[in-house]
Amino acid sequence: MIKAGQIDKGTALLIKGQPFICIEREFVNPGKGSAFVRLKLKSPSTGQVLSETMKSQDNAEDITVEDRDIQYLYNDGTNFSFMNVETFDQMEVPMANFPDYEYFMKEGETYRATFWEDQLLDILIPAKIVFTVAEAEEAVKGDTVQGATKYVTTETGLRVRVPIFIKQGEKIRVNTETKEYLERVNK
Amino acid sequence: MLPMFDLESQKQRGMMYRRIRDFFDGRGYLEIFTPTLSPTLIPEPTIQDFETRFVNEFVGDRDFYLIPSPEIFMKEVLACGSPSVYQISQCFRNSEQLGCIHNPEFTMLEYYTLGFDEKDSIALTRQLIDALLMDDCPSFMKEDFLVMSVNEAMIRWAGTDLEEHQDRRRLARRAEELGQSPAPDEAWDDIFNRIFITYVEPELPRDRIVVLTDYPYQIDCLAQRRPGTPWRSRWEMYIAGIEVANCYSEETDVEVTKAYYEKEYARLVSQRAGTGLPIPDVSDRFPTIEVPPSSGVAIGLDRLLMCLTGRKDIRDVLLFPFDRLMRE
Repeated sequence: MIKAGQIDKGTALLIKGQPFICIEREFVNPGKGSAFVRLKLKSPSTGQVLSETMKSQDNAEDITVEDRDIQYLYNDGTNFSFMNVETFDQMEVPMANFPDYEYFMKEGETYRATFWEDQLLDILIPAKIVFTVAEAEEAVKGDTVQGATKYVTTETGLRVRVPIFIKQGEKIRVNTETKEYLERVNK
Repeated sequence: MLPMFDLESQKQRGMMYRRIRDFFDGRGYLEIFTPTLSPTLIPEPTIQDFETRFVNEFVGDRDFYLIPSPEIFMKEVLACGSPSVYQISQCFRNSEQLGCIHNPEFTMLEYYTLGFDEKDSIALTRQLIDALLMDDCPSFMKEDFLVMSVNEAMIRWAGTDLEEHQDRRRLARRAEELGQSPAPDEAWDDIFNRIFITYVEPELPRDRIVVLTDYPYQIDCLAQRRPGTPWRSRWEMYIAGIEVANCYSEETDVEVTKAYYEKEYARLVSQRAGTGLPIPDVSDRFPTIEVPPSSGVAIGLDRLLMCLTGRKDIRDVLLFPFDRLMRE
């Protein structure tokens, strides 16, 4: 048990028997009245987001989570397949729980993941990733406001707006949060 | 490396203070200057105070507190026949979280206007904000206030008509229907705050300044009851979703005030018993002040300055925000 006031972003909690991860936390002190924390909690298994308000002094059931390394094998359009690199156990996780992750994870690579018992709660995606340009469109002229840009598709299928000088086969660094091109990577 | 300071915010703060003084002086208010260190406190179970001790071998030692608000001193002056008064003072709240809208030491503007009701003080506050608008101030600050009652807001954003939920158990059931988990013995005002904070406050419009009026009487405070209704004559102002001001039509009845202090003190003692939290030793010195009919507004000036200058973090208007002091 922890006090609600100690909950932070990333704290794992059990709410009505289901694990949730705190994704937003804000302290609220009404002009008159007890101090509260306003939480946004996300269920890793269903993607459901809960708005929960607790008094700072309320008890919350926190759960112990552990980090493990998992290798991303492939996806079949519905599920991701992973392998625990220590035990070689394989597991399937609905893709809907980790929207857009198929664009950021590369097959065969190992990722740090957070587990509660056997349930995968979170996968750590680096803030910036280097991708190879798999397909590059012809440059579109006329967009003078943002400079000359075009779209390319990475080896993972992510469409990114890039400067026109980027060619197929080149490597680019992308911000995974905004999905924006950062720079060309010269080996 | 030398620390970086945002000196522009200091110029703006100075300008804000000068304009506040011009505004009230021009309207015949008296600026007063009352102590920051006080031997007494209005008992507030939810506010923890900074305590210190006066030490003197001749007159004896005594506990003092850094004021959470200058309210009692200002009311005492008002009760002695002063004109309407205002004050800019440093206030202190212990144990509050640090963050983008909280700092344990903050600046409060309080103004008490004799004979004013709720409507008058809302109009005055609009004029005050107009007088403080700065060149690059966000345009929504110039729009008319959106004035609505707390109950209208509860109906609109939480689907909960408080007139139909005056019963504690009924309100608790409603909170559960909405997905909240109030404690079994939770008081009406806490359940209300749970719903309000979760569903209403985040939805308050940000394209205008919002004034919420008619607070539930169950939230005990020194705002007058509205006869024949479950409301109190109290309003709060929200700017960009942030609570910036609070106003009461001040309670004038000495007996009601005294009973309020005693009840709140008893609540404070029972809530803190066994928690190790300090219990201020003030039970024998509650002031008995006969406050004349007046409207009292308290505005958090650091927050107001943030809003006037389009800043998003209270630390950007303070040279030495508290977390910086904690690191030094």
